[in-house]
Amino acid sequence: MAHEAHAATHARTLPANLGAPSFVDGWKARALMVGVIFSVIAALLAFADGSIEHVLRAWVLGLMMTFGFAVGGLTLLMVQYVSGGKWGLLLRRPLEAMSRTLPLVFAYWLVVAFEMKKLYLWAQVSDVAAALKSGLINEAQAHAIEFKRPMLNPGAFVWVSLLCFAIWAFYSWRLNTLGLQRDSDSEANTPYWIKRMENISGPGIVVYSLTMTAAVIYWVMSMDPTWYSSVYGLLFLVGQGYSVLALSIIIAIGLSKAEPFKTLLRQTEQHDLGKFTFAFVMLNIYLAFAQFLIIWSGNLPEEIPWYLDRIRGHWGVIITLDFMFHWLIPFSLLLSRDIKRNKKRLVHVCQWMLFAKAFDLFWLIEPNYKDAARNLHFSWGILEYAAVPAAMIAFWVAFFCTRLQARPLVQTNDPHLAEILEPEHAHA
Amino acid sequence: MPAREGTYGLLAEFDTPGDLIRAAQQARQDGWRRMDCYTPYPVEEAAEAIGFHRNKVPLVTLVGGLMGLAAMFSLETWISTLAYPLNIAGRPTYSWPAFIVPAYEWTILWAGLSAAFGMMALNGLPSLYHPLFNAPNFRDGATTDKFFLCLEALDPKFDAVETKAYLQAFQPQSVVEVEY
Repeated sequence: MAHEAHAATHARTLPANLGAPSFVDGWKARALMVGVIFSVIAALLAFADGSIEHVLRAWVLGLMMTFGFAVGGLTLLMVQYVSGGKWGLLLRRPLEAMSRTLPLVFAYWLVVAFEMKKLYLWAQVSDVAAALKSGLINEAQAHAIEFKRPMLNPGAFVWVSLLCFAIWAFYSWRLNTLGLQRDSDSEANTPYWIKRMENISGPGIVVYSLTMTAAVIYWVMSMDPTWYSSVYGLLFLVGQGYSVLALSIIIAIGLSKAEPFKTLLRQTEQHDLGKFTFAFVMLNIYLAFAQFLIIWSGNLPEEIPWYLDRIRGHWGVIITLDFMFHWLIPFSLLLSRDIKRNKKRLVHVCQWMLFAKAFDLFWLIEPNYKDAARNLHFSWGILEYAAVPAAMIAFWVAFFCTRLQARPLVQTNDPHLAEILEPEHAHA
Repeated sequence: MPAREGTYGLLAEFDTPGDLIRAAQQARQDGWRRMDCYTPYPVEEAAEAIGFHRNKVPLVTLVGGLMGLAAMFSLETWISTLAYPLNIAGRPTYSWPAFIVPAYEWTILWAGLSAAFGMMALNGLPSLYHPLFNAPNFRDGATTDKFFLCLEALDPKFDAVETKAYLQAFQPQSVVEVEY
């Protein structure tokens, strides 16, 4: 009894206005400005390079980053509906907002679909024998393109992608609509809503793992038609967890400068999110290294060239930096409890992680092309990898801000809300 | 070590963590240093309230982990290059990718063992006797639902009568004197 009375005296109250704070408009304006500036830079670089090739390759990088935020956000939303936890209540609305940016990601994807021939060797080559004779492709590529034709052809690329987008849009629409209905319902129905969200999200995660595996195989892995890896989808899945959590922490801490997140973001939940991110940093390197170790051990002529393309010819420098940027630095920093509990420092680590993710994608994408494989060299075009994704992500952030402003920032019909308003030591 | 005699300290019993923390914060502010909190589950604010300082367990863990890493990686390198330089599928004898997994496992093993044994070494566990076991309410409540603050006699501010009155002012359930 005494405990409850005490908790009541120290509990904080939920702010009256749960809308997004006014500075989100500032974020939007800044993001738009950054987007425009980098678009201009990207255009200038394309002129200096005299080719659109690198713009398109960098476009895929930008697509994968924003796709990770939008659809990865949807998945993390489903994961937290299934797992529960106070960290999830905190992130629910920001994650919903991420999932509602899917139309922009679809628009980004359309460019890839229309420019398929410049990006994918299998789309470019219709007559394998002629291409082989003219030296455009080698024998291994000719064999792979011919053998994989039922899967790797422009029609399949478009239809599979459209089907995936339709499924993601369905889940995004369903969870977003029900999220609002849940809030307008009475508290007596909360258990029903918890079950309902769980029942949608559980199968949703399974469906998502399959559809996103198909999507990344088509969009990224098939840039090299000869190579395959069974862990590829999972690698991107974990990568999305990595980048979505980093982005969510940046957003939650950014929002905590004003109500309602000022009251809601406690140090305990921030620390929990930091630990969760740490787990993804670990899982990410675990899968990436497992893939490397298995292919290195097998040492098969079908598989090993993919790594050699990415190690020889100065690419070794990039993979070494990638290892440090992507794993060593976030791992070492996130080990520290103090950094996880310090708002400013945790935000810096998360910003670094987003950069590292883009750097990793650069290492995955660029060596797929003949001019760059085993030959890392400077061209104006290679700078597109900084300019194009920066512009695409900036426009995505602006769009995300409008989505964030569309709804209250907290879901109120949830038993965790009372707990998150308690003083931290009541259950620490 | 000669057997200690006399008063170990005064033990105040609280029903809630909040009351304990308020009392502990006030006592620290009033200049108390030789004191400790006892709770049935970890209450981080209690540690902060009595000015808990950093310990060396993280350092011991880090050093242990790095030692494990270095030990296993060197062992594998020595075996593969010097002791038994076998030709395995034409690979170089120094094939570091294959060494990573055992080296990683040893890092974790050594870090974990260092954390566990380092913690024990630094906090004096296992300890078979503690003066607070003499207080019946401590024996009954410390592991279930009571929160204790002990002001120890070693603190220069300690005075059997005044300190008791001081603790009473926090309105605890009880204040008892504990013998060594």
